[in-house]
This record gives sequence, C-alpha cells and structure tokens, in this order.
Amino acid sequence: MTVSTEAILGIIAEESGLDPAALRPDATFEQLDIGSLDVASTLFAIEDKLGVVIDPDKLDRNATISDFVGLVMRLA
Amino acid sequence: MNRKVVLTGFGCVSGLGIGLAETWRSIAAGESAIRRLLREAPTEHPARRMDGPAAWVDQQACRAALAGEDLRALGQIDPLSLHALAAGVEAVNGAGLRGHPALDRRTAIVMGCGSGGNATMDQAFERLYARDLPKVHPQTIPSSMISAPASHLAMLLGVHGPTFVISSACASSAHALGEAMHMIRSGRVDVALAGGSEACLTLGSWVAWNSVGVMADDTCRPFSRDRKGMVLGEGAAVVVLESEAHAAARGARILGELAGYGAASDAADMTAPDSAGIETAIRAAHEDAAVLPDEPALISTHGTGTRLNDPAEAAAIRAVYGSALPRHTAIATKSAHGHLIGATAALEFVIGMEALSRGAAPPVLGHLGTDPECDLPLALGPTPIDHRVLVSNSFAFGGLNAVLIGRLSA
Repeated sequence: MTVSTEAILGIIAEESGLDPAALRPDATFEQLDIGSLDVASTLFAIEDKLGVVIDPDKLDRNATISDFVGLVMRLA
Repeated sequence: MNRKVVLTGFGCVSGLGIGLAETWRSIAAGESAIRRLLREAPTEHPARRMDGPAAWVDQQACRAALAGEDLRALGQIDPLSLHALAAGVEAVNGAGLRGHPALDRRTAIVMGCGSGGNATMDQAFERLYARDLPKVHPQTIPSSMISAPASHLAMLLGVHGPTFVISSACASSAHALGEAMHMIRSGRVDVALAGGSEACLTLGSWVAWNSVGVMADDTCRPFSRDRKGMVLGEGAAVVVLESEAHAAARGARILGELAGYGAASDAADMTAPDSAGIETAIRAAHEDAAVLPDEPALISTHGTGTRLNDPAEAAAIRAVYGSALPRHTAIATKSAHGHLIGATAALEFVIGMEALSRGAAPPVLGHLGTDPECDLPLALGPTPIDHRVLVSNSFAFGGLNAVLIGRLSA
C-alpha cells in the first residue's frame, strides 16, 4: 500500500472503529476517544501495511490527526 | 421464597439462519444447513485447504442483525463474539429487557464456549509461522479470549453483575444454563443471560478435529446404521432466565421453565463416552425437576452421529426410561445444524422449547435405517407432539455430562 493521507486515515478509521468522516485534521486522539489499545492497533497496521515503524513514545494523547499523518509521511 | 426459573427470551444464530424464526422455519421444514465447505489453502500447500461437510454462519447476515448497535467500544470482534452478540441481543430484546434497570446489577451472564476465537488465533499464527512476521495484531489476546463473548455482551447490554464463561467442551452451554439457573434459585441474581457460542470453522481447528478421527465425510446421521461421525457447525444461542417473581412483576411473556439440571463426570476417558455417567446425569436432571421418567417428553439427544456416542447414549436412555420409552419422542438436531461444540447445548435447548410450544418435533435427518444398538423412538419426519417436557442431553469429550429439563408453563 502506498503511503498517502487517504491510506493513513483509512487505517485509523479501521482500527479505531470510527467513521472516516469523523477524523477531522484538528481533532486529537483524546477528543476522538481513541484509546491506548486502538492507538497500538493503529501503529501495528501502519507498520504492517505501510512499512512505517513509529515509536509509541513519540505519540501523545494530544496529537492531532494532522500531526499523526505528518509524522507517518515524514518517516515513510 | 419462590425461586422458580422461567424463560423469557430466546436468541440464536447457526447455519440454519439468523434468529429463532428463521432457524425454526428451516429445521421444521426438514432443511439441513450441512453443505460442502471448500476453502482453498492460504498458501501453496494444498493439504491446508478445508474440504468437507460443515454448517456455517452467514457472517454478513450476522453483522446485519447487529446494524444500529454501537459496537465500537468492543474493539475487534472475533466471530465467536459476533455470534454471541447477535443471539444475545435477540434474546434480550425479545424478553423486553433492553435498558431495564435489572440488567445493571441483578443480572448475570454465563456463556459456554468450547474454545476461544479460532479465527483470530489462526490469523496471528499464520503471520508467525507461514509468513515469518515478527508481530501479531495488538488485539489478538482480548478478541480471542474464551471469555470475550461474555465481556462483549456485558459491555453492549450494560450488565454489571457476575459475568463469565464456562468451558466443558461440547457440554459447555448446558453447564452454563444449569449453573445460571442455580444462581437465580439461590437468589444471587434475578435474571441471567445464559447460552453458548462457538466459531471453530477455521483451518487449525478443522485439521485438529479431523485428526481425532470422529468426523463424517458425508453428513451427520444420528443413531443411523452406516453413520460415519459428526459434522462441525458454528453459531450461538442465548436464553434469558429469570426468577418467576421478577418476570411476573414486570409482566414478561413466559416462554417456559428451566425446571431441572443434572451434571455428572464419567471420570473414565478423554474421548469415549460412558453410559453410566450419561445415565447419572439424566436421572439427576429428572430428580432436580421433579419430573418422573414416565412423563411423556421430547428428548433432544446429544446425537452426534459418531460410532461411540450414539449407542452409549441410546443405552443410557433405555436404562432410564425402560418400558416408558415409547411414550417419548427423540430428536437429534445436529443432523440439521451440525455440532456447535460449546454452543450446541443452548441451541438444542432453544429448538427443543420451540418444538414443545409449537407441538412439532423437527425430523432427524440423514437416517439410513435402524442400528439395533441405537434403537430409539426417533422423529424421522415432521412429527406432531403434545409433550410438555423437554429433556436436552449434552455430553462432552473428557466425560462431562449435563442434562437440562425444560417445561412449558401450565
């Protein structure tokens, strides 16, 4: 799978069970009620499908969707 | 204090359909859900494909039955839990208990499962052993735990009372219903959601079951000559049990009574059944229910269609009922829905109670002729009945026997 904003948002939606439309760029993981296991699942799927390895310690609950997409794109 | 335990809701999913209405329509019409299952190997090894008779759940239809339910908090859901949720929601909604205050503190959930989430474990192990990948999905453990169906039901329905899974292989959900009945009798809870769930039609489970040497290569033919063995099914069934006083106070519709439960261990062999242990469990259930063995009953046999189960069960039935046996009617519904392992007892209990209330015994399918060792008063075609008592037998590998007695309300 090619690394793209659409692919990253698709993975977050699938792993968190949220509607993709709910993933506003300025919303934080906390605001979206994406819990720690969903975050771990998202990081696993990002690594598995996009080949991008993210250190979970680099993410905090205040990160926005936009921050996360930017982080994945930078590391790709 | 009156602690009679009544039935106020049923739900089920299996190869026969999603929901009791579809299930009953299929089984009463003599339809079988057993078909040829063919899944090609995920790798280049042809030996890893699944090919043989089975009765599987339409997963898409099962998900559709839960449309409108907020499942997000439940995380990843193995088919093991999906089946339980569909059956549980049907049972609780049918009982008129959805959102009822009793669900909060005075309700137990007791589910029976023979194994955990096989699909989830297969996917994880396939990554490790076939694809040489180092990691598995972080929700592998929570979604495949054998207790996950109970947790998922509690989360969706807001149940904060005692909640757990009982595992006794093919008798799991009979033990679940029976032990839940005792929780109500003892006053620990007013309501119990009791049943079973199983989702074992996966490659790993399939190969393991076939290795035991008890699987038929054609179909399930309980108590028949030339029977070849059992056929795997999958699915779930949930029963709402309630103290009579609680059900009456809220004006619930009473579907019948769980009147008795007998359990016994053979303590003899890990796979071969023992007639003495089976007989002990059947007699214990009758004693518990205060139902005499000569009262005409619908006997929902364990009837797996294996070489060893059927004559052992028939011998025990003959020993218990003796000359009264012709008054009874025996059914063997695994011939229609396959063997749901941990879920099978609950499904058979629900079908049996439905048969009593409709006055019709579903036919035993696949019967080729009488095996003298298995001679029972079988319903070989759709059979009108006027019995008010159901005896539902379940026996498991490892010699774990559990028998339930249901009764139509007066």
